[in-house]
Amino acid sequence: MSDAARWLLPSVLDHKAITDAIAGPLVEGRAGKRWWIAMLVSLLVTGVGAVATGISFEYGPGLWGNNSAVVWGFPIANYVWWIGIGNAGTLISALLLLTRQKWRNAINRFAEAMTILAVTIAGLFPIIHLGRPMYFYWMAPYSNTMNLWPQWRSALVWDFWAILSYLLFSLLFFYLGLIPDLATLRDREGPRSWRRIWGACALGWQGTPAQWRTHQRLQRTMAVIATPLVCSVHSIVGLDFAASLMPGWTESVFPPYFVVGAYFSGFAMVVLLALVIRSALGLEAMIRPAHLDACARMLLAAGSVMLLSYGSEWLSALWTGEAADLRFLRFSFTGPYSGLTYGMILGNCLLPQLFWSPTLRRSVPVLAIVSAGVLVGMYFERILIICNTLSIGYVPAAWTLYVPTLIDALILLGTGGLFVFAFLLLARIIPLVPMYEIRELAEEAQMRAAA
Amino acid sequence: MTALALASFDREAPFREAVARAGEADRRIVGLWSPYPVEIGNMGEEVAAPIPWIALAGGWGAAILFYAFTWWTATQAYPFDSGGRPLHSWPVFLIAPVEFGALAAGIAGMIAFLVRARLARLHHPAFDIAEVERASSEHFVIALACDAEDGNEVLALLLEAGAVHSRLVTR
Repeated sequence: MSDAARWLLPSVLDHKAITDAIAGPLVEGRAGKRWWIAMLVSLLVTGVGAVATGISFEYGPGLWGNNSAVVWGFPIANYVWWIGIGNAGTLISALLLLTRQKWRNAINRFAEAMTILAVTIAGLFPIIHLGRPMYFYWMAPYSNTMNLWPQWRSALVWDFWAILSYLLFSLLFFYLGLIPDLATLRDREGPRSWRRIWGACALGWQGTPAQWRTHQRLQRTMAVIATPLVCSVHSIVGLDFAASLMPGWTESVFPPYFVVGAYFSGFAMVVLLALVIRSALGLEAMIRPAHLDACARMLLAAGSVMLLSYGSEWLSALWTGEAADLRFLRFSFTGPYSGLTYGMILGNCLLPQLFWSPTLRRSVPVLAIVSAGVLVGMYFERILIICNTLSIGYVPAAWTLYVPTLIDALILLGTGGLFVFAFLLLARIIPLVPMYEIRELAEEAQMRAAA
Repeated sequence: MTALALASFDREAPFREAVARAGEADRRIVGLWSPYPVEIGNMGEEVAAPIPWIALAGGWGAAILFYAFTWWTATQAYPFDSGGRPLHSWPVFLIAPVEFGALAAGIAGMIAFLVRARLARLHHPAFDIAEVERASSEHFVIALACDAEDGNEVLALLLEAGAVHSRLVTR
């Protein structure tokens, strides 16, 4: 079997079949009952989150579990978790493009869409956490009435520029890849109003050799820029912690450790989305067991690196012998949050080890369980990074435990609903698998078969 | 030129063959359209824009300007003593300019792409050709210049190359 043929079933080696399979379920087809139910449920959950956020804005952060010691709490843990998920899409797409991985084609589009949604949601949390969210624009450098400029040494300002730049760059990267597919939708039979919208967004794309050549060159250039950009964004999130003077935070390993963690959680989300999309949109011919196998290998590799990172963190504390660090380590394994620590190790390090087995790497239920386990494990990690350190800092008089409130939980739940809602909406209006890249792959498979 | 010979192909290989034969027969290629990127020798004729260099220049330029702005706001416009730290704290001042520079590089590349690919152009004579519509989803299309007299000869050339559909458009 040729390399290209591994990633596609023979039933979709025809260009028309590819276009029909991917573009067919879009707005021209009727949305199924399952889609409407999922939309309604996610909208309801989003509404609950919006109400909880509105109540927080009305009555202030006193409604959260945050206290005088654990000042960051859920909002910043949620931010780090969502931005981690958001980091993976562009990184996966760019890295796999640069390394010419053919299996990228099936997953890159929805991974990029996932990035945009997750980063947008992540960007909401620092604003919610401000306490006075209406002044978030003070982080932007503009000439205000007091001639005061942003404090460039502040981690909040770093986050502002990192998120803004990354979000806009990811949007550009996503849109660039989408242009040829929008032209396909424009030229297909379908609802006139939607064809007009797709046509306008396709910018008059024709698919001439000159256009393709320029398009491909820009795509590779953006992939080269995106790779260090993605790493820098989550490194900056790591620096939010590492630049402070708190036990468990002041570690130079944090930036790379955060990047791997982000990649890990994002990849887990990509796997879950891939499983849902291939089943819901009937794309089993294009998202093949070989894709699942490749994704499982990535999770296994990242999970093993996470284990090494945790080990390095724990050994560093032991090696320094610093009282606060040792107390922090003991607190992690025996304190009130120890259950989360063990859950984190189980989800992030032990569950992915199942993927040493080739059979389990291709098993849909196992992939779903492990991916969900990784997402939960990574959430525990984000919570622990904040709560362990801030609950048991240098000043014993300030030691306070953090317990999230119902409002905290509802805001988090609401963002989950928003993510699902926006993703379902996208699934109906844009192709979640890049048609032109699949056609190229199909042609290669055909040529090899003929040869 | 008084006519245009149009042909559609359902696969890349015959399309390439048609391009090669047109070159050998010294026929002028008016247009080529494909549903995914196809590289054939001098196909496309134009050299791609130096997009990486434009992106690099845009990114560096924006990053340098942003850094200068950061320096000016922190040391000239509103000098603020933050715990005795130097006013010009360059290691932390690098963060925002680097992020912004990456974004600017992407924007510069995108602008270069739009200019070079002659987008956005929603109305183009090529969209009046029915075959071009199918080129965005399943067909490879070639348009060759010819005269009405030798039109059939050109169509035969294209059919021999493996065209699944061909026709002559005369003025």
